[in-house]
Formats: sequence, structure tokens, C-alpha cells
Amino acid sequence: MQLNKSRRPGQLRDTLATLSLGLVAANTIHVAPAAAQSTDENLSLPYSQLDAAYLSYQEANGRVSASEPTASLAIHGQGGQVLTLGLTADTVSGATPNGAVPSDLAQNFVTPLKASGSSVTVTTASGGSTVITLPPTPGQLAAAALGRMYTVPGNNLPMDRAFYDERKAGTIGWSQPLFGIDQVGASFSYSTERDYSSLTFSGRLAQDFNDHNSTLNLSVNFEDDTSTPYGGVPTPMTAMSGQWKNTSSKGRTQTDVVLGLTEVMSRRWLAQLNVSYGISSGYQNDPYRIVSVVDPVTGEPLMQTDTAGNTQVYALYENRPGSRTRESVYLDNKFDFDPVIPELSLRYYHDSWGISSQTAELTTKIKLFGSFYLTPNVRWYHQSAASFFHYYLLSDQAVPTYASSDSRLGRFTSLTYGAQLGFNLTDHSEIYVRGEYARQQGDGHPAYAVGQLRNQDLFAGIKATWFMVGYSWQFH
Amino acid sequence: MKHRGFVRVRRAARLALALSALALLTSACASIGPKPWEKDLMARKEMSVNPYPLVAAADDHIYFSKEASSGGRGFAGGGCGCN
Repeated sequence: MQLNKSRRPGQLRDTLATLSLGLVAANTIHVAPAAAQSTDENLSLPYSQLDAAYLSYQEANGRVSASEPTASLAIHGQGGQVLTLGLTADTVSGATPNGAVPSDLAQNFVTPLKASGSSVTVTTASGGSTVITLPPTPGQLAAAALGRMYTVPGNNLPMDRAFYDERKAGTIGWSQPLFGIDQVGASFSYSTERDYSSLTFSGRLAQDFNDHNSTLNLSVNFEDDTSTPYGGVPTPMTAMSGQWKNTSSKGRTQTDVVLGLTEVMSRRWLAQLNVSYGISSGYQNDPYRIVSVVDPVTGEPLMQTDTAGNTQVYALYENRPGSRTRESVYLDNKFDFDPVIPELSLRYYHDSWGISSQTAELTTKIKLFGSFYLTPNVRWYHQSAASFFHYYLLSDQAVPTYASSDSRLGRFTSLTYGAQLGFNLTDHSEIYVRGEYARQQGDGHPAYAVGQLRNQDLFAGIKATWFMVGYSWQFH
Repeated sequence: MKHRGFVRVRRAARLALALSALALLTSACASIGPKPWEKDLMARKEMSVNPYPLVAAADDHIYFSKEASSGGRGFAGGGCGCN
């Protein structure tokens, strides 16, 4: 498919120079295999593509909201070269569950609040919190011994409303034919936010065969992350406190390998099969997340009072195993029954934390009157719980080595419904709007719940809506 | 230890099975697929593997942030401390 046809010398360079200036987004760029990439039949040259979009994400009940401008660019050269660029910026804020169980009584939570200078008095805190004075630790100035306290009313899911973060991410990649292999590529990505940074390096080999109907892919991805939580890194399974922690950051690495086959099965049928294996090690805890310790009879969360007179919940910082392996198999089938183009993807996932999941997604593009199209989609997802997932711990039992109450590690089913409405401006450019609604449903009333917890919904799953407005342009 | 060893063997067997299936599929591929002059539909954008990279990236990132699973379509939408 990739034949060298006449192109004006320097056209690629000119295009690059023009477009690199106006580039804005994307943390993941997929280079389509030759078996299935949009191609100009006259030039037999894959189209280059520029995409730009804006994403708005909102969770119900005042939880997390995010806005994200993003853009990506993939430029195909006449010699089989592909340059990919992407940029993303997002702002995330709102209330996020802290991991504690609801109670029929009000609960106070205290987190670190660093004074900007040892003698500076902080009098305000965001997210409906108040500044409190803590007992100074040895060697600490009294004026710096400050914490942030927030109160959760009875029968409410404990959430910290002061969550705010900004993230910027960029990626650059290059691939080309080399040593008789159709595509040899590498890409580099960097992402940074207030309390987290991530470096990723990827390598990729792809070989076409069978008249370019088949493409075999091998990709390796290495990621090096650093977590620098606000308030320092807490010691796992110790009591939540407002004291600033001594350790400022922790690292984590992850290596993934994906072996994939893309196959043009017939004139109207495209199939893709990916087998993935990944291993991560290092700090994998959520540094802000806690697990409640409750009375085994009443189900009331334990409370504690410090020497400065502050009464707060006694809860433990979570702890997850330091290593994790992941395996997944992904199968995608797409059919062209013009004017209807259905696509069904299936995924099975398993990891060493005991989580297994199944995902099925059906997307159908329907060409409408004029230049409009509509693409409804539905996605079903189910996962089992991690082996160390606990809604809460009982005060009469030994503290386990690992425990997390993060609902994302619990057992639940999620359904997503959505649609994309697009309008073709020209044969090779379009604008689209997209809306999605997702709801997670888990067992918030487990049979083993004790005391007042029997009356609470323990599952902190989300109901989320997101919208996207985008522009896509293919060119030579 | 015995259990861990068994799990490793089972994982290796599963991986070998998946690779064998892939090899089988690869060899079977030689006899399937359209001729070059029948690829008109495959050349269209909507039949490419990932026609809307930003939509796929956004969805992957949202699901990565809100679920325990990741990857499949490509690499996980990682690079953030959201999971």
C-alpha cells in the first residue's frame, strides 16, 4: 500500500513547519498499521491527520470535574516515515472520596497544611475546610504546626472537597522502515501535574505481510513515575494525621509489552488482536486515601483526640502491594456495511492483585442525510475486587499488611451510553460533538456489614457525563 | 511458594497459548484478505484502526482513572497519579 509516488520535494518539510506551530494535545497516539490506515488511492500514500478537541468531564453530586484541550498530529512521509506529536492540558477539581465509610454521626478529618514559612499564620483553607492548630512535633515551631480539618455530616459519603490539580502532557514519536522491517519506531512522553510526574519511552516494530493485509506489531513501553503527594508520603497503615510527613516522594516503574495482529479479513472486515503483559513495581498507593476502622458491633468509625484538643476520625492510610503484573487480551472487529459501520471490541483482563475484568463495547457509525453521521455506542464493563479490598477494618482484628477501600479496586459493573454526531466539512475534514454517560454499580450493602453500616451505601462509584467537541483534518 | 510457582507456570502456559493462537492466526492469514484492487473500503478513514485518536485517548484515560483495568487497545492511558 505504501508506494512511492510523485510528491513535491520538501512538501513534508513544509507541512511540518506549518503545522508544528499550531499544535495543541494527546497522551496516547496510535500509529495505524499499514493493513488499515486511511489512504489516498491515487497517491497510495497514507493521509496525515490533525486532530484537535476539547473535553469536558463532570461527575454527579459535586464530585470531580475536568476540562481538557487536546490535539494530535500524525504526518506520513513518502518514504514510509511517520512523525507523531501530541499535547494535552487538563484541569481537575471537585470532591473526591477519601476512602472512609459513611457514618450516622458527623466525622472530622485532618490533613497536612503547610504554612508558607515557619512563622506564617494560615487562616483560610479551600474546600470548606478550616485551619486548626496541631500539637508541634519535636523541633517544629508552634506557628507551623497547622492542619486542615473538614467535617462530613452524618449519613454522607466522606469526601475531600479541596481536590484540585492541573496536568500537562506531551508526546513525540517517529517511525520509519529500517533494516527491512516495515516500521521501526520510538516515542517519548512526559506528563506532569502538581503531585505526580511521568516519563514514558516506547519502542515499536511492525511488519506487513500477505499483500499488506496483515500487520504484526510488537511494542514495548517503559514508564518511570514519581509521586510527590501534598503533605508528604504517609506511612502505610498508620493513622491519618495533619502532620507533614518526612518522605517527600516515591517512585514507580512500569514495563508493558503488546503483541498485536491487525488483519484485513475481507473487503469489508477488519480485525485486530492484541495480547498484553505488564509489570509495575514501586509506590502504588493512593497517598490521600484512608481506610476506616470501625467498632465491630456498632459499626461506628473510631475517633481520636490529640493533645491540642482536636477530635478526628481514627483511620489508616491505605497500603497496596509494591508489585503488580497485568495480562490482557483484546479483540476488535469492524465491518463496513455501508452506510452502517459496526465495531465490536472485547477485552479480558487479569492482574496479580486478584482483579479480573471483562469489557465489551459496541460502536456503530451510521451515515445520515447530507454530510452528517451518527455513532451511538454502548460499553459494558465488569471487574472483580482486589484481594486486599476492604470497605473498612474491624477494630478487634489485626491490621492487615495490605488494605484499600478505593472503590476502583472493588467489585462493580459499569455501563456507558453515548453518541457522536459528526459533520463532514469536506471529503477530508470534519467536526463532531460527542456525549457519554457512565454509571458504576457495586454492592454498597454487603451482607457482612455491621451496626450502622447496614444502613449506609458503602459503594462510592461514580455517575459521570462527558462531552467532547472535535475537529479532524486529513491532508497530504 | 508452591502456590506462587503454580501461578507462574499457569501464566506462562496462558501466554504460550496466546502466542500459539497468534502464530496460528498469522499463518492462516496468508490465505485470507482482499486483493489490492479490492481495498477501496479499507482506505477510508472510518475503516482505519483508530480514526479518532483523541476520542480513544480521552475514553482510555477516563476508564483508566475510574477502573482497575487498563490497556488492551494500546498502552494504558497512564502518566497520571489518578489511579
